[in-house]
Amino acid sequence: MLDATAAAQALSDAAGAARGFLGIDPVTQNCALIAAELTRIGAQVCRADDALVGYAHRPSQPRQALVASTSARAEPVATLLSFLRIHQRSTSYLALVPAGSVTIAAFEGCGFRQAGVLRDHRYQSGGYQDVLVYFAKEADTCRS
Amino acid sequence: MQVMTVRHFTEADIPARIKHMRDPSFQANLSDFATSITDESLAARQRRTIAQEQHTARIFTICGPGGEVAGFAWINPIDWYSQCCELSAGVLPPYRGGLGALAVAALYEYLLSELNIRVVVSQVLDHNQMMQSAELMAACRQVTCPLDSYTAGEWRAAHFWAFTEADARSYLGAEPAGRQALADRIRARIEEDQGP
Repeated sequence: MLDATAAAQALSDAAGAARGFLGIDPVTQNCALIAAELTRIGAQVCRADDALVGYAHRPSQPRQALVASTSARAEPVATLLSFLRIHQRSTSYLALVPAGSVTIAAFEGCGFRQAGVLRDHRYQSGGYQDVLVYFAKEADTCRS
Repeated sequence: MQVMTVRHFTEADIPARIKHMRDPSFQANLSDFATSITDESLAARQRRTIAQEQHTARIFTICGPGGEVAGFAWINPIDWYSQCCELSAGVLPPYRGGLGALAVAALYEYLLSELNIRVVVSQVLDHNQMMQSAELMAACRQVTCPLDSYTAGEWRAAHFWAFTEADARSYLGAEPAGRQALADRIRARIEEDQGP
């Protein structure tokens, strides 16, 4: 598990793969701003092999975790979900994924299903882009 | 591939930027504050901008063809609601001229495409031809303010102009072949200078 400063540096190094990770964007935010935002939302970021995964609990529903990954592989997300189930008593998960992101494969591989689309939700590369809302209940997820 | 690129300014870049700000040939383009305070005060201001002022001011490092530091740019103030900012930039001597123009193009592209800025206001003091010729400045300028700044012992007029989304469509979007040709010529010149 990385502290906010180390997490911000790791996400900055991941550059394009980290765009939209828990709502942050290394292209438009420097390390200090990313660290401040991770702290503000109470996010935790972990390294899992070559991937970064992260989560933040929603204050109004602490059993539901907002999760993110930089990788297309399902294994890092599965490991994160197991940790959240065992140690945080999470019962459901939400992922907000930029349209076209390679991480969609990781979430679908862990049992997430697309629940909706936030139209024109973020600006990147000269245009407004959709953000896909992925959801899974604990019972739907794969176990690592 | 872009010849000149832009990245976030970091604490590791501060000594190089202080040296640049105190370069007599460049300093005349700025207000005199960089020559009137200590290194530590100047560094502290930049650390504060990095850590605490990103919503109102940002500094960027301009990188050359090999990723090396080629200059610095800053936007201040930033009006996020109006999607407007004022841009200042300076490049190190080897990058003035054509590479400086490509650096400005990279900055415009970043500001409009990633930060969603719609209007970039530039201000250049009358004597400053480090990044554009007198002819180009005469074509660009929309407002001239006499006696705008007193720097390095002289009163200077300042020229202002706005770069808008419409300008971007013609400058950045409609002439990619022209920009690529310029980039190719500069790359060839660099390789020629570096030798076999």
